[in-house]
Amino acid sequence: MSNPMRLRNTTPLLFPLLFASLAPEAAAQGSAFSSPGMPNATGQTTRFDNEYNPAIGFSFDALLASFNADHSDEDGLEIDLRSAEMSLASWVDPTAWAYATIVFDGEETSLEEGAVHYTGLGGNTTIRAGRFFVDFGKQMQAHVHDLRTIDRPAVLRTYLGAELGGDGIQFDNWHAIGDDTIVRYSIGAFGSLITHAHGDEHDHGGGGHAEAEVEGAYRPELDELSLTARLTGFTSLSDTQTLQLGTSLRSIPEFAFHDEENDLEVEGQDNMVWGLDATWGWVDDTQTSSLTIGGEYLLSSGALSAEVDDPDATPGTGDESLEILDEDAAGFYAFIDYGLDPYNSVGLQFSQVETLEDGLPELEELDLYWTHSLSEFQRVRLALTQSELEGEEVLRLGLQYTIYLGPHAHGVNF
Amino acid sequence: MTNPRTLWIALAALLLTLLAPTSAALPAPAAKLDVVATTPDLAFFAEAIGGDRVDVKSLAKGRENLHALVVKPRTIVAMSRADLLLENGLSLEATWLPDLILASRNKALSYATGGRVNCSAGFEPLEQPTSLSRKEGDVHPEGNPHFTLSPLAGRHVAGRVLAGLVALDPDGRELFEARHAALVERLDAAEARWARYRPLFAGKPAVVYHQEFDYLIDYLGMQTVATLEPKPGIAPTPAHIARVIGLIDEHEVPVVLTAPWSNNRSAGAVAAKSGAEVLELPALVGGAAFATDWFALIDGSLERLCGAYGIEPPKPPPADEESIGGR
Repeated sequence: MSNPMRLRNTTPLLFPLLFASLAPEAAAQGSAFSSPGMPNATGQTTRFDNEYNPAIGFSFDALLASFNADHSDEDGLEIDLRSAEMSLASWVDPTAWAYATIVFDGEETSLEEGAVHYTGLGGNTTIRAGRFFVDFGKQMQAHVHDLRTIDRPAVLRTYLGAELGGDGIQFDNWHAIGDDTIVRYSIGAFGSLITHAHGDEHDHGGGGHAEAEVEGAYRPELDELSLTARLTGFTSLSDTQTLQLGTSLRSIPEFAFHDEENDLEVEGQDNMVWGLDATWGWVDDTQTSSLTIGGEYLLSSGALSAEVDDPDATPGTGDESLEILDEDAAGFYAFIDYGLDPYNSVGLQFSQVETLEDGLPELEELDLYWTHSLSEFQRVRLALTQSELEGEEVLRLGLQYTIYLGPHAHGVNF
Repeated sequence: MTNPRTLWIALAALLLTLLAPTSAALPAPAAKLDVVATTPDLAFFAEAIGGDRVDVKSLAKGRENLHALVVKPRTIVAMSRADLLLENGLSLEATWLPDLILASRNKALSYATGGRVNCSAGFEPLEQPTSLSRKEGDVHPEGNPHFTLSPLAGRHVAGRVLAGLVALDPDGRELFEARHAALVERLDAAEARWARYRPLFAGKPAVVYHQEFDYLIDYLGMQTVATLEPKPGIAPTPAHIARVIGLIDEHEVPVVLTAPWSNNRSAGAVAAKSGAEVLELPALVGGAAFATDWFALIDGSLERLCGAYGIEPPKPPPADEESIGGR
């Protein structure tokens, strides 16, 4: 028996205070007219004109897929608006910029990211605060519709989640080594780490996880904060080649499994995921053709999942218990992506992961894709995905369609 | 499992402590002005005017697509150390330069401090859109950004670079102005030389892949009868290619002009079906073996256009012949 996974959001109150203590004294425009006891207006005082508003962008990501599975009840077609996303971004003042990403995933609308980048400390330091995707490996900071493949690799989905955002604060810095190399590192602390799922994230091969509901610590103590860290080196091997190596950690020191149906709870759980990634890239001298080869290895330790054990198969009879799966588990993905020209790229990705079920059966997933950009703002992807878990196979032929309206940028990520 | 939280918190505190003085420290002033130019064309003018007082790097190479430059680690490092950024402007670098400046954390690179110079500011651009809509493709809001392919652009860029260097290094004014004056002399001679090509090309039909050669075409008085891209930045469709082939036949266009970073497979296919030839011209200094500097870029491009159109290059006037012979 399995239940959908949810992480409860517990925003730590100390982050805004920490952040405020770092900021220079506010010098925003005061209201020209306010009565005693009423809040002073700040910022733009001309309430109805459009200047200084954030840049607003939209993106839509849809999928048409045909499934062919060993279990015939998984066969069929799927038409899915995976996400409709609105993004806003603006400088707050000369020392900080902020952005928000609001996403409708076909079922609900949520603030997926909303964060401030404070750069007023000088040097290459950034303090990021709010809700944002964790800095783990090369892919976890990107939204699913921005990836090379339709879904995030199976190993990342399994151990970290389809999209892993949290409410927290992150310190980020980079240093140059010589003229060709950058070393960047970040440390983040989160009150919660929330697993997002866009629409229906498929468990190919029937890899249904044995999960109970997961709850983060309510008003966590300092040592109960979830933590992330990343260290990466990025170097120019030549005018046309780059190499990046990185290692990442995500630790959740305190959480509980909870099963509402049977009112079961197991507290005091922890989990850590460690990752190692490598990416080599080549572009031709016109930067129209490219070849990228990369991969990432993940090792999970601590509690992975919980399963309700119900001997009489009748909920609520009192014989139920939660069994925690806490074995070490590992997986990886590797890919090769060839950009034929500015409009077309093809690629192959393979992911293998020990799943969150008793005995850690391996899920293997192979993606073959062709991405065609009709323009800079409109993209079509045709992908064949083969998944296999314990001998059961699922084939998916997917047609992904993504468009961008207005500004849509990701900065210089590495 | 060993819970690492205590170690993590200690590590974070240690890193913050170690980094605090590093972040606050200012880089030691360099003997030379570190100049970063987004294109090799601008880098050429910076070196020509700055001489030994500047150390110049170009972010892009001569054959690269400036609309979507792939950022490399050395690009970020160069930006982080620069005193002066020379940009093409007209939104040519709009997709990558703002984020690169942000990533480099170099606060010196701003218009307000004089550390960032838009080299196209004040140049009258071609093809300024009357309205902005993505229906028209990847249109640049201020007009066609490939202005350095205009033979008339050199004088403008030289002036912008001179002003930028003098503002940041007033002690070098005398040297910069002397080198600028020498450059202007070369420009005077070159502009006179290039002007003799204009009557030879006036009214000739042109077909291009992308609109990067429009300034050169406009200067020569040629007429663009078709572009392989149906709209800027939009890949050719079979129906559009068929129309272009028809226009090439109709206007008896001998060549399809392309740049190194254009999709020259499409251009080649059009040429093969229409009987025209593909002429790949550099869009930037270093984009071809002959384009060793900006003067050579324009000279060489004009010579190759003459060859493609079967035009005898203009003879230099006697004064120039004497001058060349006397060297």
